[in-house]
Amino acid sequence: MTVLDPDAAQAAIEHCYEQGWSDGLPLVPATQPLVDKFLATTGRGPDEEIGRLPQLDRVVTVRLAAINAVMAGCRPEYFPVVLAAWEALTCERTTGGGGWQSTSGPAPLIVINGPVRTELGFNCAGGVFGPGFRPNATVPRAIGLIVRNVYGIHPHELEQATQGLPGRWSICVAENEEESPWAPLASEAGLPDGASAVSATLLRTCEFVDNRHTSSAEQLLGDFADTIGRTGSWIFEHAQAGIVFCPEHAQLLAAAGYDRAHVRTWLAEHSGRRTSDLAAVGKDRLDGRLRLPGDGEPATEFQHTLPSDDRRNLLIAVAGARNAGISMVVRLFADWSGAAVQVTGPDAAGDHSAEEAQ
Amino acid sequence: MPNAILDPTGRADVATTVPAPAAAFELAPRQPDPSGLRIGLLNNTKHNAALLLAEIGDVLAADHAMSVTIAETKPNFAAPAPADLVERFRLECDVVVTGVGDCGSCSASAVADGIVFERAGLPAAVICSDAFAVTASAMAELRGAPGYQYLLTEHPVAVLDADQVRQRAKRLAPEVVAMLTQPSSQ
Repeated sequence: MTVLDPDAAQAAIEHCYEQGWSDGLPLVPATQPLVDKFLATTGRGPDEEIGRLPQLDRVVTVRLAAINAVMAGCRPEYFPVVLAAWEALTCERTTGGGGWQSTSGPAPLIVINGPVRTELGFNCAGGVFGPGFRPNATVPRAIGLIVRNVYGIHPHELEQATQGLPGRWSICVAENEEESPWAPLASEAGLPDGASAVSATLLRTCEFVDNRHTSSAEQLLGDFADTIGRTGSWIFEHAQAGIVFCPEHAQLLAAAGYDRAHVRTWLAEHSGRRTSDLAAVGKDRLDGRLRLPGDGEPATEFQHTLPSDDRRNLLIAVAGARNAGISMVVRLFADWSGAAVQVTGPDAAGDHSAEEAQ
Repeated sequence: MPNAILDPTGRADVATTVPAPAAAFELAPRQPDPSGLRIGLLNNTKHNAALLLAEIGDVLAADHAMSVTIAETKPNFAAPAPADLVERFRLECDVVVTGVGDCGSCSASAVADGIVFERAGLPAAVICSDAFAVTASAMAELRGAPGYQYLLTEHPVAVLDADQVRQRAKRLAPEVVAMLTQPSSQ
């Protein structure tokens, strides 16, 4: 029987802090035997390059990702999900540019589909944005540790977030496929039904829409349109968004005949502000790609928040409990790739490519 | 014997076994007299950068008989200036003014560009908002040029109107000339 040695564990945890590896919370010290267990879960070679930032001349390999996933508190069997999440994030234009260093301090949103949700115990129901579930908590933390340790992007140094946002490395939701009226998000991206897959993008914040008392799909959508059209989060000509619908809202919309595409079309048409509203906050005039103060004319012209009803402009997922009409609007940092990446095991070497619907 | 704790950065070997960068950083040679120097302006796309650089170019032309012979916009503010762009500048100008470092990634990137220009033999004046000095200096270190000097201008730059940008350019111009012509204290 193994005798647990908490004093040794504490010393090892302190050692990790002293090296500057921690995001602030205790780390699991990584050793070769544990990292080997992680590497055994994937068909990808330990030296394979899976990320690169040219401006910093730093490269992420499968091995380094595994060490950081260990430290984040992942179990070995989570590692294929970490790799898929990382790959989905590399599909985002900004993660290969200045995204991780940005004043916006954007957070990954990671959405899990398929059997891997239940196999690994991902939460897709009550409190899905909150704490309490090891895979939901540790997979995004692993991403954050890779950025910190492998890219070397530390707060106050190469990371310049003005305020950042709560939960920067902890937003990972499984889709509630059982109570969603729509096909899984990964299916919409072109992966086969029933595939275990990860979609991901970068967020600037999450904002709830609480609407429990209307039975009108259009009144409900109007509430979302108002939040999506908010001026504060709107800095370029257009802004992309996402919605993580609770099952109740999704089911109300589906019962009224709305699928994802119809929801997007309605919201692309109705989300925005009149030029006079934008003028009141100094954002009515376009100069290149930025919104600047203008003359407020024509005052009644309606400016649309979303560039179009393309799915890459409005990510739609379903998660949460079926106990109330509370959904989350998420604010995209930039354009979303629309990709979903299949989660593959040790026998799928070379077959991990990102699927892209468009 | 317990297992070793693994390093998650991939740079532990670099830090402990490689003594120093192969080539120590040296600034490009300076010509003490600015008159006749051809200026290249590299705009990193941040708001007011193009105007600030153009105004500095005008002041340098009027006060020091310099001339702007190439002005380009970086294709990606976060990434290093591409090699073909650096080569065009090397052929068409004698000194470079670039900026404005006014965001998380572009401030660091502007300093990286300045170092690239210096290594290509072009004296460079990099202009950064003073709110981003830490990240700009961190990049200089990363690029093997610790202590690399760049010009700081008061934050914020993006909210200035055109007249304020012109005033800012006038204030910066003497510092730009000094940086481009004096062997510097770094």
